[in-house]
Amino acid sequence: MTTADEAERWGGPGVRGGARRTFTWSALLWALVHPQRGHRIVPTLPGVLLIGLSMGIGTAAYNSSSNILFITLSLLLGCLILSGVLSWLNLRGVGWRLRLAVPLRAGHDAVVGLELRNRKTFLPTYGLWFELASRTLDPAVAQRAESTVTGRGIDVRAMLAKAEAAVTRGRLALRSRLEPEGEVRLEWGCKPEKRGVLRVELAGVGSLFPFGFLKKEIGTELSAEAVVWPAPVEYRRHAVISARRPAGGERVARAGTGGDLHALRRYAVGDSHRLIHWKASARTQTLLVRQFAAESAEGFSLWLRTDAGVWTRPEQFELLVSFCASLAEDLFRAGRLTGVAIDADAPMPVRRVHDVEAFLDRLATVRCAEDVGRAKDPDGRTAEERSEGRGRKNVMTFVPDGARGVVAMVDGERAASV
Amino acid sequence: MSAGEKSSAGAGRGKRPQLGVEELHQLKWLLGGGLTLLAVWTVLYMDVEAWTLMALTTVTTGAALIWPRWPARVPALVHTLAFPVIVAFFAGDLWLTAEVLPAMVRLGILLLLYRGISYRQRRDDLQVIVMGLFLIVVAGVLTVSLLFAVQILIYTGCALGFLLVITLTEAAEGGAKPVPHKAGELPAWAAHADWRKLFRRLREVADWRVVTLGAALFVGVVAVAALLFLAIPRFQLENSLFLDRYISKKARTGFSDSIKFGDVTEIQQDTSVALSVDVSDRGQIPAAPYWRMLVLDEYRNGTFRFSPGMRKAALGRERTDTALRGEARPRLGEAVFWTFYLESGVSRYLPLLGEFERLQFREPQNFQLAAELNVVALRDEPVSMTAYRVEGLDASGALRDPAFAKRWQERDAAALLRTALQVRVAVGEADRARLAGTVAEITAGSAAVSAEEFSRRAEDWLRKNHGYSLSPRVPDGEGDPLVRWLVSHEAGHCELFAGSLVLLARTAGFPARVVTGFRGGSWNAFSNNFTIRNSDAHAWAEVFDEATGAWRRVDALGAVGSALGNEAKGEAALASRLDRSWSARFDSLRVFWYRRIVNFDQRSQVETLRAVKTATQNTGVVFRQALERLHAGLKGWVAGPWDGARLVKVAATVAAVGGFAWWWWTQGRGWLRGRLQWRGGRPGDPVRATAGRWLGEIAECGHRIPETEAVVVELQRVRYGARETWAEPAAVFRRARQALRAARRAGRPAERQLGLKG
Repeated sequence: MTTADEAERWGGPGVRGGARRTFTWSALLWALVHPQRGHRIVPTLPGVLLIGLSMGIGTAAYNSSSNILFITLSLLLGCLILSGVLSWLNLRGVGWRLRLAVPLRAGHDAVVGLELRNRKTFLPTYGLWFELASRTLDPAVAQRAESTVTGRGIDVRAMLAKAEAAVTRGRLALRSRLEPEGEVRLEWGCKPEKRGVLRVELAGVGSLFPFGFLKKEIGTELSAEAVVWPAPVEYRRHAVISARRPAGGERVARAGTGGDLHALRRYAVGDSHRLIHWKASARTQTLLVRQFAAESAEGFSLWLRTDAGVWTRPEQFELLVSFCASLAEDLFRAGRLTGVAIDADAPMPVRRVHDVEAFLDRLATVRCAEDVGRAKDPDGRTAEERSEGRGRKNVMTFVPDGARGVVAMVDGERAASV
Repeated sequence: MSAGEKSSAGAGRGKRPQLGVEELHQLKWLLGGGLTLLAVWTVLYMDVEAWTLMALTTVTTGAALIWPRWPARVPALVHTLAFPVIVAFFAGDLWLTAEVLPAMVRLGILLLLYRGISYRQRRDDLQVIVMGLFLIVVAGVLTVSLLFAVQILIYTGCALGFLLVITLTEAAEGGAKPVPHKAGELPAWAAHADWRKLFRRLREVADWRVVTLGAALFVGVVAVAALLFLAIPRFQLENSLFLDRYISKKARTGFSDSIKFGDVTEIQQDTSVALSVDVSDRGQIPAAPYWRMLVLDEYRNGTFRFSPGMRKAALGRERTDTALRGEARPRLGEAVFWTFYLESGVSRYLPLLGEFERLQFREPQNFQLAAELNVVALRDEPVSMTAYRVEGLDASGALRDPAFAKRWQERDAAALLRTALQVRVAVGEADRARLAGTVAEITAGSAAVSAEEFSRRAEDWLRKNHGYSLSPRVPDGEGDPLVRWLVSHEAGHCELFAGSLVLLARTAGFPARVVTGFRGGSWNAFSNNFTIRNSDAHAWAEVFDEATGAWRRVDALGAVGSALGNEAKGEAALASRLDRSWSARFDSLRVFWYRRIVNFDQRSQVETLRAVKTATQNTGVVFRQALERLHAGLKGWVAGPWDGARLVKVAATVAAVGGFAWWWWTQGRGWLRGRLQWRGGRPGDPVRATAGRWLGEIAECGHRIPETEAVVVELQRVRYGARETWAEPAAVFRRARQALRAARRAGRPAERQLGLKG
């Protein structure tokens, strides 16, 4: 990762880079007096008390010409200035970035990591909190701006409430001290309810440091997105998956979980360390892992058709997607997944984990298609050809099972259902 | 979608220990208690009857500070009834005393007392801060004392620390809304409180750089506050608010309208400062200044007093103003200003050297002027310092009184009746005869003795017949006590001398009166002002001199010729009064406080700005001249003859500077950073120091047993090793103690054996 990339990911006052402004004293003074763009300073109860107290003492001082009261007023104002300086010092040099631990699955806990760092040399940072918001993006729904002025019948509150309901908000607090030149990671757990693209935003950073007079809030534009895979579902297997035996002449060499070495490939994140081929790695100076041949040459191809005319009920469609994802994972784990395809897209062979993940990524955002056309399955057959039993076999397709269920069919036979 | 949070361990360059939530609560408790005590101690210098409450608050808050578990034992009923009782107390107090401010002060102390013995929430902590500030500000406004400056600075520092700890505590608790504390429930932090451990932890977690920065920032706050104080625009509103209206005043000490013999002497026992005086022209300072305050005309039964008749006749109507004109005639030359700072509790009569042209108060005052007597009386005795500036003071010692002179010249009995008490000798016949005998002795039978001559002779006579003593003895017997003392040879104090002189003068036919005030004072060499203490209280006489039409000061205890007004003035007069003692240093602080802070007004603001402008210009000139000198010197040095030795010196200097710069650039910065970096321990680390002490003791013991060998390894790890590798230090030290005892026990038989053999 380049420095520029890293700088892009980090946010906050401590992030270096960008066009540096020419230093002028007037700019510094103005920056100390006037809040920067996106910064918001709100007096807290003690702050209001202090301001009220200062005004009362100031009035009394002018009324009585008492220098004792003027001294008190000066000290109170001095404390207010000190509060601002300390608050500025506290935030100075602090940077933050969001880290999402992929893969995310609908219905499963996800961890949002917020990494903080303090670039100051010897001053620690205290008492920050971070407002986080997460929501699942729905690319199928067109996001159209509507005017609240000219729009008719628009209940702004209801719309805002609806939008807010789709957002999960949370607050992370920096409970301990952030050491000078130190880093800390805060974690926020959230549970995405549905598949799609999860967008996590750092809505704001706040602080009451040092004296709690003023609440300083800094708006940020930091966000991170991650794909949420469909939720796994429990399904029932039928005899066709387990009892099916390979037909002669169909045996193909492919990776699996068998005992025979199939090939060597580059190490990918997530591979077991036990699979590393140390000799080959040393020879090639590249980390290589072993791939074993599948014990059975029999495999299935998944073909997901998202025809809106077939899947009329949204919840049934969601079940279809989850079912398809679960099957894909299970078949791959069993070494029996040979290819995947969605609608009319080109079939994609599945040889490694990355291929399955790519398929799950697509499943995460797949929507009902109005016209799937003459889509071909992973074996290059159209739906009509497949229904006539031509071409390769072992292609798993999905059909509705009543009003709620889904059935996976292999060559016209029920393979699994949910 | 659901949310939760979790924080993982942080990584820093060197991780220092941090205070936990409980420790922060303990620190908060300590600071809150400290603020409470600091606030209630204002009663010590505030003239409010709240000593009992203050003592009670001090004791209970102190006890709660030492034993934080104790407030949990306070019955729930106390918490239930606390506020109704406090409100009832305030209402009753207000009703009984009819004094708003003292009642509010007592209410504030009561609230602090309650907060001191109950576990506080955030709003309670804020209440402690506000109530404490209220007490300190009220005390400051009422007393204008220098103590206020000290107290407000300490209080500000503690309050800021307190607020910081509150914020840190809330941050450590994750900003969660605090659960209201139930009465009688012992919080965990109080149950685990161990102050020694807390202080040890504070030492461990403190980083000297952060502490230094904190101290520097606090100094910065004070500096900014000082600048704001100077810069805040001043303008005076007509409807002035006097806080001291809400408190009744009563004289504690000092001069009142009547003085019994011994009163002035009693004041003299008090060495506190009564008056500070600034003079714009030191050449005008007399060698023995007499600060007149009050004229006592009536004498009866051993008591001189300011008679009601005189008061009615001489004191004009009461006025409310910031300035008044005196009777002195304007003089040529530059005006001399005398600025007086009269402490509270001295008197409502303003000390003056004599006649004056103009008197200016700092703020509007209610006063009465007795022009004939040259006395200015405030309506009430001020409870705080009173500042006033006098222009054109006549310090000659003679007080012109044309009105009295006219009446006296005409011997108009009806007219003289107004001031008849200044000539009346209110003693019995026998005493009168004794006085007449004494007068005859003084005048040597001559009837044509002038007032001046008589005064001089009477002074001499009294000095010859009486010594000075602060513990005089008035002979027993019948008749007037003053006459008894006069005809005796007993020593006496100023009041006896002054009273005797007055009786003698009146017997001789000269109008006379007693004047009280101060005499002398010291010249503070640090702040260049007169400091007059209560111990300088004095009484003297004034005798009317018909020849000059003025009252002459006559003081048998003063320097000879002082009444003539021809004593030394200026530097020569100050030489003998210079005070360079430590108390003078402290007094100079007080004068600085009065001059620059309390007495700061719009005019001072303009003067300050002018002074800053002048100083800036002067500094610029000096700087420019220094640069020019440096430039000329450098030019001359370069133009000088160059030889080999000089070249070598220059080359060596350049090489040394360049070498140092190179070292600094390549290594020095890193070295400094390394020195400043936290390494998890410091030379002053108490835990390491304790380990070192135990190692030393074990080495001194000399007897090694297996237990000591084992514990020495552990101690060495604590002393020198990385903090992460330590065992629990307290347990290691316990084992060290046990091992050392065992080693000593093991060593004793051998020593005894050696001793027997020896």
